[in-house]
Amino acid sequence: MIAKAKTANDVAPLGGGTNLVVEMRASGVGPATLVSVGQLAGLRGITIADGTVTIGAATTVSDILRDPRMKQVAAVLVESADVFAGQMIRNTATVAGNICCGSPAADLVPPLLALGASVTLRSGSGERTVPLDGYFTGYKTSVRKPDELLTAISWPVPTAKSASRFYKLGRRRGDAITMVGVSVFVSLKDGVCDTVRIALGAVGPCVMRSKKAEAVMQGKAPSADLIAKAAQAATAESTPIDDIRASGEYRKEQVQVLVQRLLTQSLESLS
Amino acid sequence: MNKLDEPTVAEQNVNFRQIGKPRTRTDAPGKVFGKTPYAGDYVMPDMLHARVLRAKVPSARMTRLDVSKARALPGVASVLTFRDLKIGTVATDIPGQTGFKRRATDQQILVDELVRYQGEPIAIVAAETVEIAQHALSLIEVDLEPVPGVYNVFDAQKPDSPKVFGTDNLVASYKVRKGDVEVGFAAADVIVENTFTTQYIEHAFLEPEVGLGWEDEQGVINIRSSTQAVETFRYIADAMGLPHSKVRIRGALVGGGFGGKCDVTVELYIALLTKATGRPVRLGFTREDSFYGHGKRHPFIITHKTGFTRDGKITASKIDITSESGPYAFMSPYVLMYATEAGPGPYLVDHVHIDSRSIATNNMYTSAFRGFGATQACIAYEQQMDEAAKVLGIDRIELRRRNLLKTGDAIATGFKVQSAVWTEECMDRAMAALGEKPKDKGPIKYGHGLAAYQQGYGRMIWLHDTAEGWVGVEMDGTVLVRSGMTDIGAGQTSSLAQIAGELLGIDMMDITVYNSDSSTTPLAGTSSASRGLYMSGNAVRLAAEAVRDRLAARAAQHFGSTADDVDFANAQVFLKSDPRKTMPFKELVATCASEGIHRAELAIFRAPFGDWIDPETGQGQVHPDYTYGAHAVQVAVDTETGEVTILKSIGAHDIGQAVNMAAVEGQIEGGVAQGHGYALSEELIYKDGCLVTPSLSEYLCPTSMDSPRIESIVLESRSGLGPFGAKGIGEPGHTPAAPAVANAVADAIGTRVFDFPLTPEKIARAVRTARKAG
Repeated sequence: MIAKAKTANDVAPLGGGTNLVVEMRASGVGPATLVSVGQLAGLRGITIADGTVTIGAATTVSDILRDPRMKQVAAVLVESADVFAGQMIRNTATVAGNICCGSPAADLVPPLLALGASVTLRSGSGERTVPLDGYFTGYKTSVRKPDELLTAISWPVPTAKSASRFYKLGRRRGDAITMVGVSVFVSLKDGVCDTVRIALGAVGPCVMRSKKAEAVMQGKAPSADLIAKAAQAATAESTPIDDIRASGEYRKEQVQVLVQRLLTQSLESLS
Repeated sequence: MNKLDEPTVAEQNVNFRQIGKPRTRTDAPGKVFGKTPYAGDYVMPDMLHARVLRAKVPSARMTRLDVSKARALPGVASVLTFRDLKIGTVATDIPGQTGFKRRATDQQILVDELVRYQGEPIAIVAAETVEIAQHALSLIEVDLEPVPGVYNVFDAQKPDSPKVFGTDNLVASYKVRKGDVEVGFAAADVIVENTFTTQYIEHAFLEPEVGLGWEDEQGVINIRSSTQAVETFRYIADAMGLPHSKVRIRGALVGGGFGGKCDVTVELYIALLTKATGRPVRLGFTREDSFYGHGKRHPFIITHKTGFTRDGKITASKIDITSESGPYAFMSPYVLMYATEAGPGPYLVDHVHIDSRSIATNNMYTSAFRGFGATQACIAYEQQMDEAAKVLGIDRIELRRRNLLKTGDAIATGFKVQSAVWTEECMDRAMAALGEKPKDKGPIKYGHGLAAYQQGYGRMIWLHDTAEGWVGVEMDGTVLVRSGMTDIGAGQTSSLAQIAGELLGIDMMDITVYNSDSSTTPLAGTSSASRGLYMSGNAVRLAAEAVRDRLAARAAQHFGSTADDVDFANAQVFLKSDPRKTMPFKELVATCASEGIHRAELAIFRAPFGDWIDPETGQGQVHPDYTYGAHAVQVAVDTETGEVTILKSIGAHDIGQAVNMAAVEGQIEGGVAQGHGYALSEELIYKDGCLVTPSLSEYLCPTSMDSPRIESIVLESRSGLGPFGAKGIGEPGHTPAAPAVANAVADAIGTRVFDFPLTPEKIARAVRTARKAG
């Protein structure tokens, strides 16, 4: 059915339903047909092979927390999964669902961007893999076509000389919609920053990488001054809105605070 | 439930066999094993389902209402609008619970011309299924022409503002004039003035409003509903032009009330549709209905101007209080009275001057909420005490200590408190339990805060409050209790079983309690105002004592002793002077039955009755008595992000006498969690009268992940007016929690956010502003 879909209004894949169903109930509108893929065993599971971590689309947030290997290969994703919504939601919400809902506040997306993840999209005519960076094209829009199913997410196992962090700033600890979500990844090589990825949630139309902030760090020896400059660049690149949770002004300030804090913590953990 | 490290159980408890002990409640097994039906679980054959059509705008004139398409929809049994109502209004005063003449505060049942708040009901529908009823709502054609509204209390008080209530938007106002405030300020070395504001909040009970109604063979409209007040049957009957005897409310165990189920909610719609269709009708509010369909907690603006001598003695207290009532009165006049009475807090102030008013707007109407205005008052006076301590350079606890009321001192209204006032001990115990403040770590700063309070329990004495209770012993020695009191989840019925059990020597778990039926259980008034145990507990105590006296007299005859030597325990009757002389309770009861000795009693308990306080001076008695205590909190604040983590939260209260220690701790813990949310995250935001936070993902109650371990320190002065010296604790446990959090946050960040709730954004901004100011 998904393969025959012409528009997103015809058919939508349903994961755990913790976002889509709630949205449909609140708005009174939704796709004509839902295809539940959340219970397909073949889409659920975590494999680590050849330096790559691959998780099936129907893998739940709780699955990430329960797999002891994840702390080694995606500590930052575990950090995020741990503060993702609440226990009941974690048990049923899927990783792919969190990506496909397209929310700028989706909590698993910043760490996946920081890890350099790609997603696999399959349709009747074949399969393609696209980087998660660039996957989103705007507010709740993406490169995924209506006839494509997101089947897997994968990323390279991080090298030993790397560190990553995630922080979710919410109005409360449990079941909160993120005001600002920040994830950073840094690897060092010969005393300078090699790979730097800085992902920002809830401060733009979609979760985004701050390439300007990353460029500030890349190839440079880390210092407090450099980190502050990177945080400034990330702040400048963010375009948050005012809503009932927080003002855009506060969100911008917090990008500065959190990028600076997470980069500092990551680099300290490497020294 | 948290267990105390060192529970404080009064020595007096050794005299009791059940009272004061941490017992499993009688309602616990049914709830734990899923056997307890709530109001929403009841169904009947041939039952219809109802829905309510609500106005989407807050201020409008209805120019057209056409329900013909909805009525024509197959499966729709009835669509009612204002045109179908015999009487268009229903009372919103304290619903039908006392003989006191009700105030002229009626509300339209369904919009007849003007919409005064967003969500005001326009039509009600009963249909074969919920889906058909919902579909029918969409077929109702309504034209609402916007009318200028007023959305804040400042604009509402201007002469040219739109008028929502009366000719001046003034719903109620009071004055308190104790001593001479100018004399007091003249004697002051330091004067501290601050304004504090609080927000609209939601009760957010787990169980939204729900009920099922049917007409019985006597023509009585029966309604099984989730309510704090079965006495609403009177107002429902009045609104339908029926005799009071023809409406019967049967409660069920309630999934939370907090004041939000004191007013008439679903019951009147159910009654009207049942009458119209002749069929049973069920109406269950969705969560959205609940947000739009019952009164909220009042936002308050409170300004304190307080005079102090250099050594910290309060010389004068001038307080200005404004509350927002929304378009209808409901409980606003009474809530304002509580806030006014509580104005200066648990402190002895000779010169008090209070002006208070409740102002109508087109925002959501407001009504009862746990603490009833005394809570907002506490948020103001306790933050003011901390601000004053800072100005005076005196330790915050010490400043309070120098001003605390003691037994026999006159409160703001001049009434001299007769019961124990153990505020000081509660403060000291709570602070001691906090322990040392951790050392700050970078941007993470730690803070300690305390709030003391005074909270009335029982109704205002001019409402002439009474409660009835019935206790009877079956021929086989089993005991029954009947009380109209509703059980809203705090262990109300269990406490009645415990009281009757204590007096008759029968274990509470072996006692059957019938409650919450306006026709067959003796009326006891609402479970609100911290009056349940005080009023119904006393009624049941009186009834059990009367039964016990008659049984004891017969037992004395048997033993050849005197009645006062007879005691009852463990289903046995025995002599205190010679416990070997014993007989089974059931044997004594059988003897009494065969001899026609009355084994049952209907008792009435009357609270102290009195007149209104003086309208010019505000002097007189408001409440029968007061509960005192203090709450202490330790927080960690991230001064960069503004996030607050509550690390410790400790309530210390003199509750007079615990009946069920476990239930008392439960009351305190629940009230404290609600106070945490009040201080930090909960807020109903209305934008030009429209609710922008109508769901539990936007309206932020604390979750289990936000809640720290809550400790209860329970002191028992045994000086209250409740059974065995109990005082009320349902509201008091909640009252000081929020200001204690606010004081802890201010202690951590070195400055204060004066407007509730203390969101991360406001805190981060306050820190930054203070830094800039140096």
